[in-house]
Amino acid sequence: MKMHKFSYLCPHSVAEACAYLARYGKQAKIMAGGTDLIIKLRDAGPELRDVAYVIDISFLDELKMIRETSGHIIVGALTTHEEMADSPVIRGYLPSLAQACSLVGSPQIRNRGTLGGNIINASPAADTVPVLLSLDASLSVTSLAGEETVGMGDIFQQPYRTKIKPEELLTKIIIPKPPAGCKMVFEKLARRNSLAISRMNVAVLIKTDQEGRVSLARIVPGSVTPLPQRFYGAEEILIGKQPDAGLLHRVGEAAAGEMIRQSGVRSSTAYKKPVLHNLVVRAVEKALGVRKVNE
Amino acid sequence: MVVNGHDVQVSVAPNARLLDVLREELDLTGTKEGCGIGECGACTVILEGKPVNACLVLAGSAQGKHIQTVEGLTGQEELHVLQKSFLKKSAVQCGFCTPGMLMSAKALLDQVPRPTEEEVKRAVSGNLCRCTGYKQIVEAILDAAQDDGKNPS
Repeated sequence: MKMHKFSYLCPHSVAEACAYLARYGKQAKIMAGGTDLIIKLRDAGPELRDVAYVIDISFLDELKMIRETSGHIIVGALTTHEEMADSPVIRGYLPSLAQACSLVGSPQIRNRGTLGGNIINASPAADTVPVLLSLDASLSVTSLAGEETVGMGDIFQQPYRTKIKPEELLTKIIIPKPPAGCKMVFEKLARRNSLAISRMNVAVLIKTDQEGRVSLARIVPGSVTPLPQRFYGAEEILIGKQPDAGLLHRVGEAAAGEMIRQSGVRSSTAYKKPVLHNLVVRAVEKALGVRKVNE
Repeated sequence: MVVNGHDVQVSVAPNARLLDVLREELDLTGTKEGCGIGECGACTVILEGKPVNACLVLAGSAQGKHIQTVEGLTGQEELHVLQKSFLKKSAVQCGFCTPGMLMSAKALLDQVPRPTEEEVKRAVSGNLCRCTGYKQIVEAILDAAQDDGKNPS
């Protein structure tokens, strides 16, 4: 086993971590839970050639919290997936996020892997990212220059790379409390029920008015486009309508079509097209209450 | 760090993993390396009360923390109730997954003394076994949980 060689740094405050980042920039990698980074370090690939420092931020207790304000849920970047899945606040206000976190990896991975790490690792197959996009989350990013807020939709550059700069540290995820009456669903498709990466997933958030017409719709498939994003075309089909099977069919078609438009026609397209169609329809049906959540 | 109740101090390379510290520095070879990438659970230990893959924890991250390995399941000569149940229910074949399975099970029973079958399955959902087909392992953990309930000590 080859393990990349590096110096180990262990800051005990966010300020200290930012000072290290300012000093070492691209020569340093931040380690939160380590469940993605250590695998890369073990591979010791060429992309690590310039990496001489690992900054262990796992002792920064100030980044471990789930806080509720009148309008938002604020989650520290070091909150683990297991803490998210177990939190009464997250389960109560953001059930699809608790659900997504509960499906990451395995219990062992969920006890170390963090929400911040899942975002920054920027895998196209990340489980929490589509949900955070469906919730219109923002990120609080800190450096020696101060703190900045950036929308989730604006941070991805390319697969496995965010626009976060080398001297910056993700500290908080800020999630507006969804309007009352919103229903949210997360569906994951994977080879197994556990220890499995999403082959496809989708996060959906829907609100209907008193007549049953859709007033709010957010549809975010994951693992099907290079960058995760809301599928506005599919969402617009629902707005103002009372959904029936025909309408949902068009939503599924729109989602599958958008996937193909962005990712191109591949050998897997014949399989993925109907599967994404059905996955999106299934998630929307669950959000509308016409399909049982446990199916 | 504190390993199985004992204070230990080791000096290791910056890139050493907790798994390396346990096996190479402390001679606690009960914890196994099955894959090295967190996908099999053979290296499961209990860190601050929670099951984790020791192959994915850098030694530095374990500073000052409490760690329990399979060797720490019992202080005396006698086997832990989980180990007895595993033997009773034929839940051990090659034995390679067993320490990890025991630690995931121990972590569960520490939090949930009388788990349901679903809770047991979820608790070991990060532990792969190539021999048994899992049925005997799940039965052993449920059996141990019943035993714990009968004889609290």
